[in-house]
Amino acid sequence: MAPQGENQTDADLTGEPGSSLHGVTGHEVFPFINMETVAEEPTDLKGRKFSLPVDSEHKAKKLKIYSFARPHMLTFHLSWISFMTCFFSTFAAPPLLPIIRENLNLTKKDIANAGIASVSGSIISRLLMGTICDLFGPRYGCAILLMATAPAVFCMSIVSSVDGFILVRFFISFALATFVSCQFWMSSMFNGQIVGLANGLAAGWGNAGGGITQLVMPLVYDLIAKGIGAESFTAWRLAFFLPGCMHIVMGLIVLAIGQDLPDGNYSSLKRSGDKVNDTFFKVLQYGVTNYRTWIFTITYGYCLGVELTVDNIIAQYFYDRFDINLKIAGTIGSTVGLMNIISRPAGGIISDMAARRFGMRGRLWSLWILQTIGGVLCIGLGLLGNLGPSVVVLVIFSTFMEAACGATFGIIPFISRRSLGVISGAVGAGGNAGSILTQVLFFQSSKYSTEKGIMLMGVMAIACTAVLFLVYFPQWGGMLCPPSKATEEDYYGGEWNEAERAKNLHRNSIKFAENSRTERGPSRQSQNSDSSPPTKV
Amino acid sequence: MSAMKIALVLAVALLALVSVAEAGVSFKSLNSSRTLTVQAKIQATNVTSGQAHVGTDHLVISWALNSSFDGTGKDARYVNVKIKLCYAPVSQTDRGWRKTKDDLEKDKTCSKGITQQKYVSTGNTTTWRITKDVPGAVYFVRVYAVDAVGTELAFGQTTDKTKTTNLIEIVPISGRHVSIDIAAAVFSVFSVGSLMGFLSLEAIKQRKANSKAGHFFRAAFTDIIRGHSVLREIKIIKSKC
Repeated sequence: MAPQGENQTDADLTGEPGSSLHGVTGHEVFPFINMETVAEEPTDLKGRKFSLPVDSEHKAKKLKIYSFARPHMLTFHLSWISFMTCFFSTFAAPPLLPIIRENLNLTKKDIANAGIASVSGSIISRLLMGTICDLFGPRYGCAILLMATAPAVFCMSIVSSVDGFILVRFFISFALATFVSCQFWMSSMFNGQIVGLANGLAAGWGNAGGGITQLVMPLVYDLIAKGIGAESFTAWRLAFFLPGCMHIVMGLIVLAIGQDLPDGNYSSLKRSGDKVNDTFFKVLQYGVTNYRTWIFTITYGYCLGVELTVDNIIAQYFYDRFDINLKIAGTIGSTVGLMNIISRPAGGIISDMAARRFGMRGRLWSLWILQTIGGVLCIGLGLLGNLGPSVVVLVIFSTFMEAACGATFGIIPFISRRSLGVISGAVGAGGNAGSILTQVLFFQSSKYSTEKGIMLMGVMAIACTAVLFLVYFPQWGGMLCPPSKATEEDYYGGEWNEAERAKNLHRNSIKFAENSRTERGPSRQSQNSDSSPPTKV
Repeated sequence: MSAMKIALVLAVALLALVSVAEAGVSFKSLNSSRTLTVQAKIQATNVTSGQAHVGTDHLVISWALNSSFDGTGKDARYVNVKIKLCYAPVSQTDRGWRKTKDDLEKDKTCSKGITQQKYVSTGNTTTWRITKDVPGAVYFVRVYAVDAVGTELAFGQTTDKTKTTNLIEIVPISGRHVSIDIAAAVFSVFSVGSLMGFLSLEAIKQRKANSKAGHFFRAAFTDIIRGHSVLREIKIIKSKC
């Protein structure tokens, strides 16, 4: 709890009985009375100074990448490494498929079904993870998921049939829900002005796990097959112990040194009264009834969804259409995943920069522009018939699409404060659903050739991105409409009903509302110049 | 923009690679040169078709120049022979990576090489122990006669033109070992077990802290109530005075 200044009254000064007991116990005993004054140096629950500048919610206002300082930067690194581990294990099978398909006697249809299975498991888990983060905290969510999916990764070493392979890829894909805990954690630790950058860096570096695995798994396989001299059909099985052990190690580290919020963990904060104990149905209700959740589910389905689809089909597309070596096709495929390291954070930065100049309207416009350009380039990729230009267009197209993913999560933290987890989960799941829908519509049957499928995917991406015009924040405006007289407190406070507000359960939302005033854009910042948090007794 | 530079470098590298690749010999052109007779037997049972087990069974492959071509000089340029294990059509369905293509450079039918021998018109025999990396499928054996640089000049195979007779089914290893199964089980149990352990430890700590806090709050509340009642009494006394 923040150190509390004492409201010295006249009664105290004249030495009323009981007044001398103030401060004797050393631990303030009135958790339901929020006596807040702005402390000179913000400190965490244990009274230590934060190493980064923070706002009134103790969220960091700066990002120092090379630092591992608790709690903000340590959380950043734990978060992206956990997410990267999960992407690594989910996409660890594709680079080894030439060996696996011979061992298990897979057909092309089996491989396609396994590919669809590998992005479907995470739909369910991303939705669940949202509510888990809201109720129990991202630290538990992340660690439990990592350690509960480790057995599935180890099971990959013992599959001996087609069905087993598809099932195992389905269960491993549950791990991709760490995306939700990652984004939720970043939104809890970093202030709205840099949340786009923080979310983009963490997600981008995590997504890059899909590219890293394409380079590392073949190396590990080679090491085992040639170094130890194991048979090829045994070596690939042993190689899967690497991602499995990474899961266990990261899970234990997150449990040991992770922290839910800048002030501590949910459990201790709930006890001291700083974290409100919320209910599953309330959190779900406010997430589901907010129409913006569904708009962003659709748009994210056509930015992450497109990226995941491209990950699955692009190596084969280049191999079949341009007759190049499978290894080179695989390397091209890995670059799409690796571009995430730069392009996703770039999207977050663009969103934050647009917000600084134009507020939330700038964020919405930058997302629409990035994703629409991505869609246009996708159409171009499908129409091109030459190898060189195709590769160039592929790289630029994936840069824009991944930047759009980063820009999306510059907006998500502002849709709701109460149901941030549910919304992050729904939008994340939407990404996967978009990928499945696209693969089933355009790439599974032989109705369309792969290049026609890519072109149609681009058209659908442009169409689905257009729903962004429907997003409207009363306090900040929409893409075409200016803001109304509503305030941030009205919007975020509106997620709590009268009874809850009377009990002051919405105090964290109000704090967030004050900090989110930066989304008004510079021209309106001077209005409502309440810079200090109100004192409530 | 570094992204553009990376893209350009990639494009140039790929274009360079593409320009270096050349088309190989067309298989159709070899149709008139089926000059070799090949026979493959599974050593254990001495039959030319049936099941063979990887790692234990041997294939005895014998090849020779077809007697009808003796003395015609067709084999003048043959230097070596390459013996290959090839997929039968039934094992190629729905598997694009085993596709038969006319360009022998791109053809994936005979991807497993058995051995290479020097060409002699009287032929030769080789015994090959089926290696453990051979996938489970239906196969036939093909022998290419090649010149000094490796260009295919003629061929022979154990099966007919439609590749339906005399096929050998090879039974593979699973790649699984009991030790891998045990290791996977142990690691999985460790993962779930340590997670449960950690969570229970934290739950116990919480309960302790909650009960301590409970006692503390109860004591504090009684203090406050006592303090307030004392204050009220003093106020009443003061007002009375």
